[in-house]
Amino acid sequence: MLPPARIPEGGNVMNGVNAKKPSSRLSYLRSEERYAYAFIFPALASLLVFVFYPMLQALIVSFKDFNLISPDSEFVGLSNYIELLKDRDFLDSLLHSFHFAVVVIPVQTAIALGLALLIKRKTWYAPLFRTVYFLPVVIAIGVASTVFRLLYNNDFGLLNTILNAVGLPKIAFLSDPQAAIYGVMLLGIWKSVGFFMIIFLAGLNNISPDIYEAAQMDGASPWDSFWRITLPLLNRTTAFVVIITTIDAIKISGPIFILTGGGPAGSTTTATFFIVEKAFEEMQMGYSTAAAFILFVIVLAISLVQMKFFKTDVEH
Amino acid sequence: MRKSKLVRAMTGLLLALTVLAGCSSGGGGNAETGGSSAGEGGSEKVTIKYWRHDNDVEVDTLKQLIASFQKEHPNITVKMEIIPYADYETKIRTALAGKGAPDVMGIDGPNVAAYAYQDAVIPLDDYFAKDGDLDDIAKPVRDSLTYNDQIWAAPLNDASVAMFYNKKMFESKGVELPSKDPNEAWTWEQVLDAARKINDPGKGVYAIDPAWGVGAGEGSAFVKMPFIWQAGGEILSPDGGTADGYLNSPESKRAIEFFNSLYTEKLAAKELPPEAFETGKLGINVSGPWSIGGYAASHPNFKLGEDWDIAPLWKDAKQVTPNGSWNLAITKQSKHPDEAWLFLNWVTGKEGAKVWYEKTKNLPARLSVADAYPELKEYPMNIFVEQSSSFAHPRPVSPAYPTISKAITDLFEEVVLGGKNIDDSLGKAVETIDKAIEKTK
Repeated sequence: MLPPARIPEGGNVMNGVNAKKPSSRLSYLRSEERYAYAFIFPALASLLVFVFYPMLQALIVSFKDFNLISPDSEFVGLSNYIELLKDRDFLDSLLHSFHFAVVVIPVQTAIALGLALLIKRKTWYAPLFRTVYFLPVVIAIGVASTVFRLLYNNDFGLLNTILNAVGLPKIAFLSDPQAAIYGVMLLGIWKSVGFFMIIFLAGLNNISPDIYEAAQMDGASPWDSFWRITLPLLNRTTAFVVIITTIDAIKISGPIFILTGGGPAGSTTTATFFIVEKAFEEMQMGYSTAAAFILFVIVLAISLVQMKFFKTDVEH
Repeated sequence: MRKSKLVRAMTGLLLALTVLAGCSSGGGGNAETGGSSAGEGGSEKVTIKYWRHDNDVEVDTLKQLIASFQKEHPNITVKMEIIPYADYETKIRTALAGKGAPDVMGIDGPNVAAYAYQDAVIPLDDYFAKDGDLDDIAKPVRDSLTYNDQIWAAPLNDASVAMFYNKKMFESKGVELPSKDPNEAWTWEQVLDAARKINDPGKGVYAIDPAWGVGAGEGSAFVKMPFIWQAGGEILSPDGGTADGYLNSPESKRAIEFFNSLYTEKLAAKELPPEAFETGKLGINVSGPWSIGGYAASHPNFKLGEDWDIAPLWKDAKQVTPNGSWNLAITKQSKHPDEAWLFLNWVTGKEGAKVWYEKTKNLPARLSVADAYPELKEYPMNIFVEQSSSFAHPRPVSPAYPTISKAITDLFEEVVLGGKNIDDSLGKAVETIDKAIEKTK
């Protein structure tokens, strides 16, 4: 990629046949530039108005004792932040979010890659499975969560009926605080794995078959090919998948609202759920905004570390 | 090609922003202001904006009341906006924050103090004194809407719950049936005894659902708090200043212990399928008058008097039932409070309340309505009417109520589902509540 052309004030940088009429060339580029700004403007304006301005306002609110419906509020300095770092419920909610992320990121990414490798094979049934695996992605999360609520029911749900029939112990995903977060993970993975499978499939299709053929000639086993060719060449795809999964995982909220309501006994209250509850149920806007900023800083830090980790100097 | 550090940092920042934007997408108020004064000369045209949550029967009734109101007051137009129940509180709160609130809002009883404390609604004492027939409203309901010695909302109706039991199940196990007399409620021990006899988890039949499961939400808190009051405990001190010494009193602790024992004895299920009672998977339930019509519509073969019956809600040291329902309040942002009151009084006044009862069959909050209909003096409605005037206990009237409500449902969840120590959980609930009260002092 070339850096944008820079024209020194009044200078002539064109030293070729095109440099006959420098002033018109210059004004052409200037008008190009104007158009560029015009094109950027709508996106930039909406970012400024709908993202950065509210963020700035939110930052201010996070230093206030701000009740959602009250017109009066006073600055309390860092006390929201200090209180949050001592709030057991908030720390627990962060822990739940990370527990969720730490399990979902590797498991979901591995399954997505595995499925992509399976359906990449050119068989007559591959398109069928591609559709089946992708189907959960297009189902509304509200509907999926409601259905999983029924499936998970301890005594009457399909899941436990099947477990019971094959002689396995029941899992009370909805009422056992130890199990509940795994129930949410299962729903989350089932819901999103198809999407990342498609992303991986695209990545796999970008790897030239010649490389595999060459490796085969040199006597590489499929196992070697996977570790030495597929994975390294998928680096950028994997980076994308992992970073997006991380963000999705940390801001998980849809299934929590419908499937578990943060329960049982607070065991699935993730950070985002905590923030929404505090803000709109308990109306403590300042407090919850401060919590949102703490989460923001954590996510920012994680994203930066991940990008450093996946950084590669090789362009494919 | 090498990416600069700045680009990477910016990308990270943007990704993180996505998260934050995802968290805060609920913002942005409705900028429209209520009311408009268009007419110059002659009677002023006024528009009253009214927001409430969805409920087909109630909305139809309100449409009828609005039509008759507009006929009586041709210069006033009432614009009703229906908001899905799950979004209602969030939407109204964002609108209040964004100065886009309606003139009249539906308000759940226990939230009145919080809205009053935040100056979001106006006191109605002067209006009630003029033509509101305040004394006609049942005292427990009045108390539940009174904060700082002022009344802040007008009730559409009251609510109460009773013990619903599967009569056939009782009879087949030879269990004595509870009395239908509101003054002869069963004690906890009697309920426990019957529950042990009818329990049959092997066949997928659970004895009792004492308080709508063990989840979160205002409904859940509504039916759980009475256990504490029945045992003789309280949630807050009489002045509302603290929960310490009340919520963690021996009486309150006994209530939690009894409630928890129903689950440890497996008489109650931590999870029930939907419609468990109507489909014969549950022996004893709590519910209100709305279920009478509800069961008749959804399960016509499950007949009151044959398959199931209603008894007064159980008691312990005291007979106590929950109360309070939805009300109407005038927002401080309203530019036409006088016209808003005319509408409020039209709907919740003596005549409006009769229409409301006839159409919705909700438990009346006005004594004159309770007197006007013979059916309210007969089984099964007499149980609810009698409970609501004699045994009802309002939920704590405190600006910290939203936190209190959550602390109570959290407490029950922690003990029953989390298996936590009762004293520890009570201690945590008291601490949470007192911290919230401290902020509103």
